[in-house]
Amino acid sequence: MTQPIKMLRDAAWQVYEQTGLPTTRNEDWKYTDLSRLTAVLGETWWTPSHAADLDKETVEEQSIPELDAYRLIFINGRFQEDMPNLPEGVSVVPLSTLLVSDADKAAKALEMDEKTPLFNGAIAVNTAMASDGACICIADGVKLDKPLYLLHVATSGGASHIRHGIWMGRGATAHVIEHYVGNSTDAGLTHNVTLVHLDEAATLYHDRLQLEAEKQFHLGRVDVKQLRNSRFVSHSLALGAALSRVDIAVSLSGVNASCVLNGLYLIGGRQHADHHTRIDHASPDCTSQETYKGVLSGRAHAVFNGKVVVHEGADGTDAKQSNGNLLLSDHAEVDTKPELEIYADEVKCAHGATVGQLDLEQLFYLQSRGLDKTSAKNVLTFAFADDALTQMISAPVRRYLERAALKRLPQGDELQEMV
Amino acid sequence: MLKIENLHASVDGKEILKGIDLEINAGEVHAIMGPNGSGKSTLSNVLAGRPGYDVTEGAVHYNDKNLLELSPEERAWEGIFLAFQYPVEIPGVNNVYLLKAGLNAIRKHRGESELDAMDFMSIIREKMKLVDMDESLVRRSVNEGFSGGEKKRNEIFQMAVLEPKLAILDETDSGLDIDALKVVAGGVNKLRSKERAIVMITHYQRLLDYIEPDAVHVLADGRIVKTGDKSLALELEKRGYDWVLEETRV
Ligand SMILES: Nc1ncnc2c1ncn2[C@@H]1O[C@H](COP(=O)(O)OP(=O)(O)OP(=O)(O)O)[C@@H](O)[C@H]1O
Ligand SMILES: [Mg+2]
Repeated sequence: MTQPIKMLRDAAWQVYEQTGLPTTRNEDWKYTDLSRLTAVLGETWWTPSHAADLDKETVEEQSIPELDAYRLIFINGRFQEDMPNLPEGVSVVPLSTLLVSDADKAAKALEMDEKTPLFNGAIAVNTAMASDGACICIADGVKLDKPLYLLHVATSGGASHIRHGIWMGRGATAHVIEHYVGNSTDAGLTHNVTLVHLDEAATLYHDRLQLEAEKQFHLGRVDVKQLRNSRFVSHSLALGAALSRVDIAVSLSGVNASCVLNGLYLIGGRQHADHHTRIDHASPDCTSQETYKGVLSGRAHAVFNGKVVVHEGADGTDAKQSNGNLLLSDHAEVDTKPELEIYADEVKCAHGATVGQLDLEQLFYLQSRGLDKTSAKNVLTFAFADDALTQMISAPVRRYLERAALKRLPQGDELQEMV
Repeated sequence: MLKIENLHASVDGKEILKGIDLEINAGEVHAIMGPNGSGKSTLSNVLAGRPGYDVTEGAVHYNDKNLLELSPEERAWEGIFLAFQYPVEIPGVNNVYLLKAGLNAIRKHRGESELDAMDFMSIIREKMKLVDMDESLVRRSVNEGFSGGEKKRNEIFQMAVLEPKLAILDETDSGLDIDALKVVAGGVNKLRSKERAIVMITHYQRLLDYIEPDAVHVLADGRIVKTGDKSLALELEKRGYDWVLEETRV
């Protein structure tokens, strides 16, 4: 390890030692108890496990079908030496390579700002421990012809700390898919931080698909800085893991920047999924649009907290936010809190949250046309959830998610025709 | 085909249907008229199996079956179809998908094979012509953003696709313009057959100019208070309901 990296790592570790992991006494972590995580992983929860060899078949099984993309595979957080041929103007270097070859760039990827919203000790751990990831640079004006597909497979217990960085030049356009899956029967931790920097008029479509194995823990964070006229379109999905927490913080710091944050959590059993988002309107005439949907069955527990802050001088802000939840069982629980803080004058803001059950009139209508009750419920549940996916730009990704969502509904396989 | 005997039904403990007797045979068309709030929609909802109604007395026989024991979908499989007075919007559920799932469930129940996509689409196209239904409407989510008249037409379109044995049309003519009324009536007439029965709830005798009924009933305050032929509808149009109510009181 080079000296500057060692210093940066040590400093981050110190921050972690001072701050510790967030506890439920912290307002932002009130409903998500990480002691479950430390209890399972013990004192060594930060120890990265070693990459296991995965046969080609398993990798294909776990991949999104019919997706034509530049694929990078990470197994237990380690990049597998198989870099796709990328077009000109697109550079992707594994963090593990940068750490030995280019300390400056590696340091940039590991950047950490304790003042960013929703900062916590886990981020410091990631900065101190992250051993691999994808550092993606798209040059000015380059429009990537196919998605960059980062497939993460967890095959064993232990923790994987992953750090990705996406730097988009002026007017560049790309679609990046982070896909998290696993086949491990042990509890492990996937811990990812992704930094995104969008220069003027850059556009990034970012899909974050969490479909981990059922005992896995998953901590994620996406930190987005946007300059003028840039656009960020995010879809964050939580279908897997025993406990997951994903924070997305977007700073709209240039005139006329816009972001779309959509999300879907579809969980059951004793799954727990927590989504915190924070959007800072720090410049005039920016637009943010957020729709998160949740479907909960069994004893599942979901948390949604979306905070929008309109800073002084951010006139012409247009911020819309909504969170809708469907509870399919009496024992499922959701804590939802849309928050709005406005320090500017000329703003258009709307936010709202709903928690409800299936609409009985709609249910009866479908039954009266011949659908049995279970199918009718599934159809309505699916339609509710699918509403969060309508802005996805990749049809194969959307189809994959729809199929995965249907699989999680009782007798949902019978409805595969719907997608 | 359908025999209703002394049917009493209430909602939230309030009695709405107060002893309905009605018999409808295959091949017949019956019209039910009556003042607002008299229980016409309640009757059709009870027949279709909508939850929330308590049947406190009486019985409904449908082709030798105890209708009230069947779930809403079982009634649909047995050939009952209700065209709703206020069709609900179902965003995200495609019309075509709904009809395919519904039709195949009905066919399965009858022991017929499920239709593949091609055969199904040719039925859809044929029925679209029958009721002059716009393809773009058929492709959209169920009733989402449909105008009042478009919703009614969609109900008739669904009826045409599902080919029920007993169709109950709850004020399907309300909200239709004159041309649409003719088209819808034409669709209903084409469906008329020896094996089918149709119940039309309406406020306007105009509909009966296009679809000639075998009987006209007046439902008032939860009871059928008068039954006649087509001329009864004409008389109601001229004189209103008061005289019928007077007559029954005496
Ligand atoms: N869910 C309910 N709760 C309370 N009252 C109800 C409910 N549903 C129906 N009613 C009442 O039952 C009565 C009959 O209603 P219904 O809809 O059957 O009338 P209708 O004859 O179809 O009237 P219209 O001609 O206006 O369509 C009305 O007084 C109505 O307010
Ligand atoms: Mg009515």
